[in-house]
Amino acid sequence: MVFSKLKSLPLFLTLLIAGLFVLLPLGSSAEFSLRQPTKQNHGFDNYVWFISQPEFGHYMGVSFSLAAVSALILLVLLVPTVVWLNLKGQKLRPFVDFITLMPLVIPVVALAIGAQNSLPEFAQTNQFILSFLYAVLAMPYAYRTLDTGLKAIPLQTISEAARGLGANWFRTIVRVITPIIRGTVLSALFMTLALSFGEYTITSLLHWDTFTTWVTVISQANVMGAIALSVFSLVAIFIFLLLVGLFIKPAASQVAKEEE
Amino acid sequence: MSNSPLELKNVTRRFKDMVALDNLNLEVGSGELVALLGPSGCGKTTALRIVAGLDRADEGQVLLKDRDINHVPAHKRNMGMVFQAYSLFPNMTAAENVAFGLQMRKVSKNKRRDKANELLELVGLPSHAHRFTHQLSGGQQQRVALARALAIEPEVLLLDEPLSALDAKVRTNLREEIRRLQLSLGTTTIFVTHDQEEAMAVSDRVAVMNKGKIEQIASPDVLYNAPATDFVAGFVGSMNRIHATKTGANLFLIGRTVGAAKNGPEVEGSVTALIRHESVRVTADAKSDIVILNRSFLGPVSRITCQLLNGELIHSMMPSAESANLRAGDRVKVELLDKELLFQKA
Repeated sequence: MVFSKLKSLPLFLTLLIAGLFVLLPLGSSAEFSLRQPTKQNHGFDNYVWFISQPEFGHYMGVSFSLAAVSALILLVLLVPTVVWLNLKGQKLRPFVDFITLMPLVIPVVALAIGAQNSLPEFAQTNQFILSFLYAVLAMPYAYRTLDTGLKAIPLQTISEAARGLGANWFRTIVRVITPIIRGTVLSALFMTLALSFGEYTITSLLHWDTFTTWVTVISQANVMGAIALSVFSLVAIFIFLLLVGLFIKPAASQVAKEEE
Repeated sequence: MSNSPLELKNVTRRFKDMVALDNLNLEVGSGELVALLGPSGCGKTTALRIVAGLDRADEGQVLLKDRDINHVPAHKRNMGMVFQAYSLFPNMTAAENVAFGLQMRKVSKNKRRDKANELLELVGLPSHAHRFTHQLSGGQQQRVALARALAIEPEVLLLDEPLSALDAKVRTNLREEIRRLQLSLGTTTIFVTHDQEEAMAVSDRVAVMNKGKIEQIASPDVLYNAPATDFVAGFVGSMNRIHATKTGANLFLIGRTVGAAKNGPEVEGSVTALIRHESVRVTADAKSDIVILNRSFLGPVSRITCQLLNGELIHSMMPSAESANLRAGDRVKVELLDKELLFQKA
């Protein structure tokens, strides 16, 4: 017993340090955002302030739409690509691995300037072009998440079974494979949404206004309000994803446990 | 015009420099169960995958009721397939798995449910309809996979080593069940296996494959008693290979004439006689030069390994009751129950 406790001590310490590393800044931000200097206490004044800003709802909507579109683009592009790579494109894997690493290597500024110069005018005037650029930024993470998820299932047998039963490739991916790797798809979705929602550099360089650029602008007027806004957006995304997870059909294992 | 619902004509499949199927010809009759038997890499699974549409022949034709389906995609072929690895969809219940093929065919929900229940009952799992894959044992999963393949009323049922991952007892039970279902439904079936006992037990005909070709296709009896090639003789059943001398129609081995040459090449002189283990009977004889090296008790039968005077080993498979008194080191005489022997060039 003592031995097992000793054995788990390093794991506990690692988790504690990692937890503190993530949670301390968040907790500090939350605490800071609740300060009310004029009243010398804690409260929701900063939150009330930004919610009462007329642009708040508008920019939330804009950022959320852009993030949702970028998540959609990425999943529609990546799920079939990664399925194909795992089934038939093993030779192309090093090339695709390399391509998906590019967004991490190329500075975001270069990506933004490149997009600005190379995109046709109609694309430059449509704000949803940002969704494509966000998708590029999120690609390295989403690709690797999906790839890991697909490697964990007997993809070849399952896809062949589905095709043998009359499902074409589209139905095989949508009706069979995607539901099986639902958790992985949700993880990729989460990362893309979070990354897109918080993206600032490209948005700012291309002179578009979204939630993050608006936060920067209002932080000049009320820095504590801006921090409150950041904490709020973080919590909002967390709650949203929690709801997504709850509303989508529970995983097979969960249903099975309930039945038992 | 062929009477066979399924026919492979001169099918060749290459993977780079390796020829997986070499001008393969196979006809499967209506309601027939044909086993493709052979060692790993002989091309049996490739042949099955080509029939299923999961792979494509480089040359030749795959005819389904005289229509070439080589270019028809897998999802339009209506072939039911059961895989070696458990291939159930883990996000669906047993009933949903069985109904999946019907759903793809846009069958109404009620009919799907009824058919799934009917098939689960047929494979002996009526109370498992709402269980998920991980709540089923390996044998149960393969039963569900079988029900799923049968639900679409396939033109041909394709079984790719469906019993390989199961333990011995479940394997025997399930193979009998597969045969029972196949006979009752009259489904034309191809059964791929590397297990000769399995192939012999369930099939109308067995095709023994080697290096991408069918060496012999025949009923299990014929295959066992009259193997057409050395490979078939060696692969099906257990065979002793004993040096012999052929003079005319007679074979001399183990120091005396033992019988007539059954078939084989027209040669005289030194040959190798092929003798089934169960055709060899040994009895105690203190004057003999033949010595027992080992006796392995296998339940109802025992395998006895003897050494001949010239150093060759001969194996005998005898009822355990008849060989109970024999021990390693005993001297024995060897009798051959078959009076006609197969032989090949030495």
